[in-house]
Amino acid sequence: MIGSVEIAYKNLWRKKARSLLTILGIALSGWVLVSLFGFNRGFEAALARDIDNMGFQVLLTAKGCPYEAATMMLKGGTGLRYMQEDAIGSVAGEPEVDKTTPMLMQAVFDPDKGESGGINAYLGVDPKTFPSMKPFLHFQKGGWFTGEDVPEAVMGYEAAELEQREVGDMILIPEKNAEFKVVGILKRTGTQDDGTTFLPLRTVQRLFQKEGQLTALGIKVKPEADPTKLEDKLYALPDVQVVSMAQVKQTIMGLVSTAKVMVLSIAIIAVAIAMVGVINTILMSVLERVQEIGILKTVGAMPRDIFKLIWIETFILCSTGGVLGILFALALSKVTEVLIRGILPYAPSGGLVQIDAVHAGVTLAAIVVIGLLSGLYPAWRAGRVRPLEAIRSEAGR
Amino acid sequence: MRNSRELLKSCCGLRFLVAAFLLLLFFSPAAFAAVGCDLNDPDRDVARLFPGSTGYKTFYMSIEKLGGEKLLEKIEKRLGDKFKGLYETPDVPYTIYEIFSGKEKVGYIHGVNHKGQFGGIQVFLALDLNGSIKSFYIQKLTSRYAKGLRDPAFGQKFAGLNLNDFYLYDVVTHKASGKVAEIKNPEPEAETDFRAALRAVKKNLILMDEFVLGNRFDKDTPKESAR
Repeated sequence: MIGSVEIAYKNLWRKKARSLLTILGIALSGWVLVSLFGFNRGFEAALARDIDNMGFQVLLTAKGCPYEAATMMLKGGTGLRYMQEDAIGSVAGEPEVDKTTPMLMQAVFDPDKGESGGINAYLGVDPKTFPSMKPFLHFQKGGWFTGEDVPEAVMGYEAAELEQREVGDMILIPEKNAEFKVVGILKRTGTQDDGTTFLPLRTVQRLFQKEGQLTALGIKVKPEADPTKLEDKLYALPDVQVVSMAQVKQTIMGLVSTAKVMVLSIAIIAVAIAMVGVINTILMSVLERVQEIGILKTVGAMPRDIFKLIWIETFILCSTGGVLGILFALALSKVTEVLIRGILPYAPSGGLVQIDAVHAGVTLAAIVVIGLLSGLYPAWRAGRVRPLEAIRSEAGR
Repeated sequence: MRNSRELLKSCCGLRFLVAAFLLLLFFSPAAFAAVGCDLNDPDRDVARLFPGSTGYKTFYMSIEKLGGEKLLEKIEKRLGDKFKGLYETPDVPYTIYEIFSGKEKVGYIHGVNHKGQFGGIQVFLALDLNGSIKSFYIQKLTSRYAKGLRDPAFGQKFAGLNLNDFYLYDVVTHKASGKVAEIKNPEPEAETDFRAALRAVKKNLILMDEFVLGNRFDKDTPKESAR
């Protein structure tokens, strides 16, 4: 005996093109929804990872808007304000502080980089404290400096690749006419450290006549401590500015959330359009089969049987479309990621689209539920068809 | 204390966000550097290296794409030296600029990265359609003596030379005859970089012969097979 599901399937198959187009519409909206959920999840995770990979949660810089400080740095490092090393010594004693590491960034102009010259930047770090702040840094070859004030350099993966340096090679700081021996090359990390040339802090201070001065102090907060409590204390320090990665993260996440709401709205509209398509397909199918439904009723089919039949058709359309959409999203997640990276002015490193089973399941459930709700009216209308009137009508012809 | 945080938030606003991004970037000097050997400013550089040109098209080629390990061995044989280092692996993509004057193709510009004494050097050649050098340009060179090697007068000494001339230069022993022998190092203190530049030119010409010139300078390749 032929079952309801089989009849529903055959009914849909009679209008192949229309059914397939409806499924495709649902699949596209499902694809958008799943990819969007995956992007939200992946982007947040990647952003958080990038910020956490800075190695510290709080950065102290000299007073002044960090925008100006960063701009100055990009222009060549002159005129930048500095923090006094001894003034921030007390920070390490705060109960919330786990570790601190001082840094001095300097940049020089290299007239032989390109047609009009370019900037080379160097980050002076303390070999005693910096490595423990960045435990994710591993050496491809070599290691950290052999002393606190030695003419040695450690290069990030990309910096070494660009300069074609190997351990034992020399680099030259053009403006200062100073040679440094490359003692270590780091493995690729996917962070800003890949492009950095690290020098010992004391060497940079001496070379650039910046003894006792810093551009930044990285602070790692104890896991159990409240970073905002520490930040409140740091705001009281004179002539320093606090850049909290938590704040940065919060601000960026706030912006991301706003964008998320907008994109989600678009996705909801896409789903709504797909559902209008479902209603249209099912309703058209009901109207075309009025006579047939009438005959079914004359041979004993009850309104609920007709309702069930039509609803099963809706379910097949929506579930097939939803599953296809999820498969599209999974298969094309890398393509989606490439497209997103091409569009976004700043994209964090690592995977940007992370599709998980929960989001895929929620999307499928949402599509099926909304679809079934959309199918209510056509199914109800089919159930109300009067057998004699239907058989007499011309609608089915 | 809270006030200062609020002040920071309100006075900086968007600037704070921009600063956050800049601070992320500020520890990333290489983010602003060219990776791979592309012209830093193609519109400007093409017009300068190819006076009279009106446009250019770019395409990418690699040893891996064209012939893999076999081709690498052939190129090494032609160069007379092994490829080594980060920018001499078969998968390195080379950017080739096809230069046009109106609709007519008039030549090529192609650059290679090469290891220098204090860092990577980038040697560009502008070639005519027959593979002869029109201009030589070192885009990047970290050296105390870079000025002499980047001097246009030094670059001019390469004009008119082709791969046949560079076959007479041994990149290992540095012995040269013919026209290449006439090119003298303008900065005797920078002998390492001078030799690196000559090797880069020979490598550049061989790659261009393989990639676009149809092996017209390869004595071992029958000429009828030239593309």
